[in-house]
Amino acid sequence: MDFKKLLEKDFVSLDGAMGTMLQARGLKMGETPEVLNIEKPEILTEIHKEYIGAGADIIYANTFGANRYKLKDCGYSVKEIIESGIQNAKKACEGTDTLVALDIGPIGQLLEPTGSLTFEEAYDIYKEEILAGKDCDVIVLETMTDLYELKAAVLAAKENSDKPVICTMTFEDNMRTFTGCCISSMALTLEGLGVDAVGVNCSLGPKELFPVVEELCRWTNLPVAIKPNAGLPDPVTNAYSIRAEEFAVFMEKLVPLGVKLFGGCCGTNPQFIAETNKMLKGKKYVRVSHQIPAACCTPAKTVIIDRPRIIGERINPTGKKRFKEALLANDIDYILGQAIEQVKGGADILDVNVGLPGIDEKEVMGRTIKAVQGVVDVPLQVDSTTPEVLEKALRVYNGKAIVNSVNGEEKSLQTVLPLVKKYGAAVVGLCLDEDGIPKTSEGRFNIAKKIMERAMSLGIRKEDIYIDCLTLTVSAEQEAAKETLNALERVKKELGLKTVLGVSNISFGLPDRVKINSNFLAMALTKGLDLPIINPNVEEMTAAVRAYNVLMGHDLNSSEYIAAYGQEKSGEAAHAILPKENIDLNYALENGLKAEGARLTRELLKDTDPMAIINDMLIPALDKTGSEFEKGKIFLPQLILSASVAQSCFEVIKEHFAQKGEKSVSKGKIILATVKGDIHDIGKNIVKVLLENYGYEVIDLGKDVDYMTVVSCALENNVHLVGLSALMTTTLVSMENTIKLLHENNVDCKVMVGGAVLTPEYAEKIGADYYAKDAKESCDIAKRVFEEFYPQG
Amino acid sequence: MIEPIRLERLNRKDAFRYMGHKGGGISENLLAIADECETALLKAIQPRMVYRVFDIEKNENGVEIKNTPLIFKGRDIANHLEGCQRAVLMCVTLSSETDKVIRSYEACGMEKAFVADALASAAVEQVCGIAEMLIQKDVGEHYNYTWRFSPGYGDFPLEVQRDFIKVTDAAKRIGLSVTDTLILIPRKSVTAVMGISETEIPPKRRGCSCCNMREKCEFRKGGNHCGF
Repeated sequence: MDFKKLLEKDFVSLDGAMGTMLQARGLKMGETPEVLNIEKPEILTEIHKEYIGAGADIIYANTFGANRYKLKDCGYSVKEIIESGIQNAKKACEGTDTLVALDIGPIGQLLEPTGSLTFEEAYDIYKEEILAGKDCDVIVLETMTDLYELKAAVLAAKENSDKPVICTMTFEDNMRTFTGCCISSMALTLEGLGVDAVGVNCSLGPKELFPVVEELCRWTNLPVAIKPNAGLPDPVTNAYSIRAEEFAVFMEKLVPLGVKLFGGCCGTNPQFIAETNKMLKGKKYVRVSHQIPAACCTPAKTVIIDRPRIIGERINPTGKKRFKEALLANDIDYILGQAIEQVKGGADILDVNVGLPGIDEKEVMGRTIKAVQGVVDVPLQVDSTTPEVLEKALRVYNGKAIVNSVNGEEKSLQTVLPLVKKYGAAVVGLCLDEDGIPKTSEGRFNIAKKIMERAMSLGIRKEDIYIDCLTLTVSAEQEAAKETLNALERVKKELGLKTVLGVSNISFGLPDRVKINSNFLAMALTKGLDLPIINPNVEEMTAAVRAYNVLMGHDLNSSEYIAAYGQEKSGEAAHAILPKENIDLNYALENGLKAEGARLTRELLKDTDPMAIINDMLIPALDKTGSEFEKGKIFLPQLILSASVAQSCFEVIKEHFAQKGEKSVSKGKIILATVKGDIHDIGKNIVKVLLENYGYEVIDLGKDVDYMTVVSCALENNVHLVGLSALMTTTLVSMENTIKLLHENNVDCKVMVGGAVLTPEYAEKIGADYYAKDAKESCDIAKRVFEEFYPQG
Repeated sequence: MIEPIRLERLNRKDAFRYMGHKGGGISENLLAIADECETALLKAIQPRMVYRVFDIEKNENGVEIKNTPLIFKGRDIANHLEGCQRAVLMCVTLSSETDKVIRSYEACGMEKAFVADALASAAVEQVCGIAEMLIQKDVGEHYNYTWRFSPGYGDFPLEVQRDFIKVTDAAKRIGLSVTDTLILIPRKSVTAVMGISETEIPPKRRGCSCCNMREKCEFRKGGNHCGF
């Protein structure tokens, strides 16, 4: 018997709870149940046998928490625990057709960006479990709440084993997991990754899970598995609320939804499984097949391509000096700012391209994808001409991404499409090949058809293929616009594929480009364009899409249009003190008017030397708020607010320098880091803003920073001032270790430290040169250090 | 079965206190930022709680939580649970979506991140308050309860966090975890102990060492006290 064969049955019976059974035999709450695999194997075999007796076709080995993190102090290795767990189950199965599942649960540490475990570490932890459980018949990944963690586990399973994989996640009554993953995103992502069955387990009883299961069955054509709890536990007695018979009654209601695999989770026992099997007896498996729409997703958000959706094009260094500078300087916040701004502007999806000579594109792409996903919920389109970069992006992406792009060239088809298939992405196909871009719509249509056929032959869903018929410059070739539109229309109608188009190229070389762009966009939309790639912060462009959605009836009751344009513009002017006429930079700084600050700086730059703006206006204003803060006249958020306004002014000046190809003047380089193990970095970030305002070049290493990273960064960049932050008593030791390592490596630098639990005495004790009680003082220290010790910066 | 907790408003007074506000006017602009942050947070916050009640026994090792491997060490927790026969172990979180709101504010200007962080700290206290009430209703209002005492208060070691989460099953039930350096994730979360007694409990003094803001309080940093 194998899993595939098993699925030929009408229903597959899974077992019930293990923890509940072990607790009934004396296991205490909080003890490591997997240790019993070795110390009391007979108990496990006995429990497995009870479930087999109740009719289970698959039993889960007692390996749920057998990862290196949870087993750390138990005295046994992952290999020992898992091998014995599988053996106990195998022993119980002797003489039956029952299959043994390697049961894998969450690691017990949350992944980045919420937690501190990296995706790559999670993969390694799971890989170890998969390898140890190689004798199983099926791999089960269950009780998952984080789609990212689950993806790491699925990849570990698929890349290190050929056993079938069943994935079940845990949903709450708000139809999401604890980390905010929705059902459609789970289904799209897992089906894309090629798992063999999906489902839900734990959290609620079978009654409460009905809507969850109903929604899941609409989003997948894979076999659906369900293992509900026996209701909810009582906090005093820990007894679960429903009995086996009731459980089966509610389970019966799930049969018509199309569930194939039935079992139980917390609080259930063999009786629950027996009752469920009794209920299933004689019933027929009915599965309505659903058309799963074209869609991409992040855990929290599924974007269905059932009407035009805007892809924001701004995360791309091409032709953008300031962006290039940010990439080279590793200034991730600048990129995140671009992401957030585009989403605010109306982007449904963001294109991410970080291709720039002189940087490690693969590494930067991985980091950028993770960081962008940490702050926005919209799906991403990963954009590179290098397959290795695309693979890196697809690997670390959380959800179902779009790949930009494949084209009709043989080499491209051969390298890109397998990646799209493996990671379950959607793909943009460009209508060009070895011979370039065909002039006629006919030629482009043919390439689109070829890409479609090749993609589908690899098993990529038709809905996941989006065709770009390519926009050429109308001022160079006036016929070209029509050819693009005709090709687009044919691809949409005759091939039935979704279409995507970068729009702004059309107007290159013409004046007032946005007029041409927005009209071309409107024309393309009526021809069937699904995914315009535009700058969503250009109002005319986003408006064209919004208007189209109203006129075509996609935007029901025009509600989105009204939300966007119906009210007064919300912005700082709307809620802040209305700026008086002729306000100056000082006023903007004192009153926290960020946009005004930037606008005024732009005005000033027309006839004022940038250095004069900095030295005669910004710095004195900052000094003033700084001293008011010290005197207690204003409190911290007001200081930060002024600093943020100054920051927006400096951003304008930076852009000005970048345009002119000049470098901003630096008063000295400073490293800032929140130490290893600590993830509270708000304080450090406030310090960063202030230091940058005073003209220091800050290398921000982020949070949870390895000791050695600080040392090597200081050496590499010849940095003479290092600022370390720690907020927990438990992480002060990391601060001490970092300082020790700086000294051991003879780094020629001063160290300043800060953080609420620190005291000047403790700072001295751990070898720091300065203790900064707040962000303002960090600036004073920096000034002193560079003036006294390192006048050349 | 405990009803779900919903927050309608956030406690701004507390939040501004956490930010170091000592009275006096707050600029319109800052209030507007607080408005924006509060709206975003209220959308993101999904308060969750889990609790379990255990018999406790004080002995030479500390306070033993019966039927679990947990033993609470330290003088302060022992004093706190003096005269109690049972204890509630509770965990509360605002969810990881809350962390995300603060994180995205960090990318577009620290002022909002700072305000949102303080508002979220106030929110978790509000949720704790409601949870405490609901638990007392659920367990029985005729008992006497101590106030909430959290790991890290006084000499009650933070090291119990890991087992605390295990015995309350908080990972599975509310999605709570703890890092190797004992930071709770999601960030805006609290674990706490409430003693239960059949007889009246003498009131005990609270101070800075028994406050969830003890490590980031703007007053304490300046050597002051919020006066709460």
